[in-house]
Amino acid sequence: MLSHRHRPPSPVPDADTRDDRVVDLAADSAARERARETAWLERVRDHGDRDAYERLFAAFTPRLTAWIGAQGLDGASAEAVVQDVMITAWTRARLFDAAKASARTWMYTLARNRMIDHHRAGERRARAHDGYATLLPAEDEAVDTPEQGLTRARIAALLEQLPAEQRQVLLLVYVEGRSHREIAQELELPIGTVKSRARLAFNRLRKLLEDPAP
Amino acid sequence: MTPAHHPGEAWLMDYALGNLDQPFEAVLRAHVGVCASCRDTIAFAERLGGEIVHALPGRPVAFDARAICDHHEQETPRPQAVSRAHGIAVTDDIERCVETYLDSSLDALPWRGVGQGLRLCRLGEQAGARTWLLRGKPGTVLPHHTHAGSELTLVLKGAYFCGDRIYRAGDIEDADESTAHQPVITRDGECICLAVTEGRLRFRDLLPRLVQPLLGI
Repeated sequence: MLSHRHRPPSPVPDADTRDDRVVDLAADSAARERARETAWLERVRDHGDRDAYERLFAAFTPRLTAWIGAQGLDGASAEAVVQDVMITAWTRARLFDAAKASARTWMYTLARNRMIDHHRAGERRARAHDGYATLLPAEDEAVDTPEQGLTRARIAALLEQLPAEQRQVLLLVYVEGRSHREIAQELELPIGTVKSRARLAFNRLRKLLEDPAP
Repeated sequence: MTPAHHPGEAWLMDYALGNLDQPFEAVLRAHVGVCASCRDTIAFAERLGGEIVHALPGRPVAFDARAICDHHEQETPRPQAVSRAHGIAVTDDIERCVETYLDSSLDALPWRGVGQGLRLCRLGEQAGARTWLLRGKPGTVLPHHTHAGSELTLVLKGAYFCGDRIYRAGDIEDADESTAHQPVITRDGECICLAVTEGRLRFRDLLPRLVQPLLGI
């Protein structure tokens, strides 16, 4: 699934990461990609390895910036938040425990925590209809262009398997950071309907993704 | 303690993303502290977040990795959980957990008798949701009602029936507009619950409707 999809442009293009990318594409394995990210973060944690940090940075920074932008922060604020997250990933890498989470999950939780602080600091989130429009596939249309929508990997294919109305709820929760109550108001649906779509989508993905590896 | 009834996945996703107003966040935190199954669900919700973000088309940024390494020293931080699944006090004593949160023993709170073996204590209202404690004698039958929004009820002590389900200490009853119920406290002992309710309750019978404005429920 990875083999025919582009990766987003890396801000740190160098020969090593390009080589890595070729290996990535050939591997066609989400689990191996995850394991590689985790190994980079462990090298940052254990040895202060700058090369490993650069790879981690190239893999995560563009996506976290897109995600935080989709939650309604303007470009400059989103970048400031991501910079904080990436500084934390470097300075506090010793908090990482691969037994509890993969690097991918850990990086996400760092960014999520930073966003919670951001909202608690009273900076109301602007509603990101633009983000929603550019990130979410319209209706039941499958997304297969790298420039638009969810571009990569197994998760994108799994999301495409969900009924459109379930996928919509899941992406509103995860991409835009809406609560299920906000979604019910916006889509003018009973709360019970939104909860049931969220439950079906979540449990389906859980069944498909959950394996013994973290 | 192994709770048998849990908040729906939508609540746990919202919890994992930090999307909830404080009253719902607080009642969920108390349940999650005693519920390994919900902690697993939250851990998966975080993992799913990581996967979905990883599938987003990236945006280039104007800062680079080397500048971060050059300008920041690596630290040896005090152990601290970054996951919301691992980051809460895990306890088996839900009553104590809530007392700690309220900074009061349950008995010392200003309870108000509302008849029929029932006492209420309003803890506050925020973002359209009221938090209250409810305490009933064994065998108390609550008025039949529906809801104008969401309601989460956490059992702190004792147990109650709703239809064919029994809710015991640590359990959450997850109700919304589609739920009509009439809780009945079991005969084994008193029951204390913490509830967060959006909107007014809608009572089927006249008497509770008449006293509703006085009680603010």
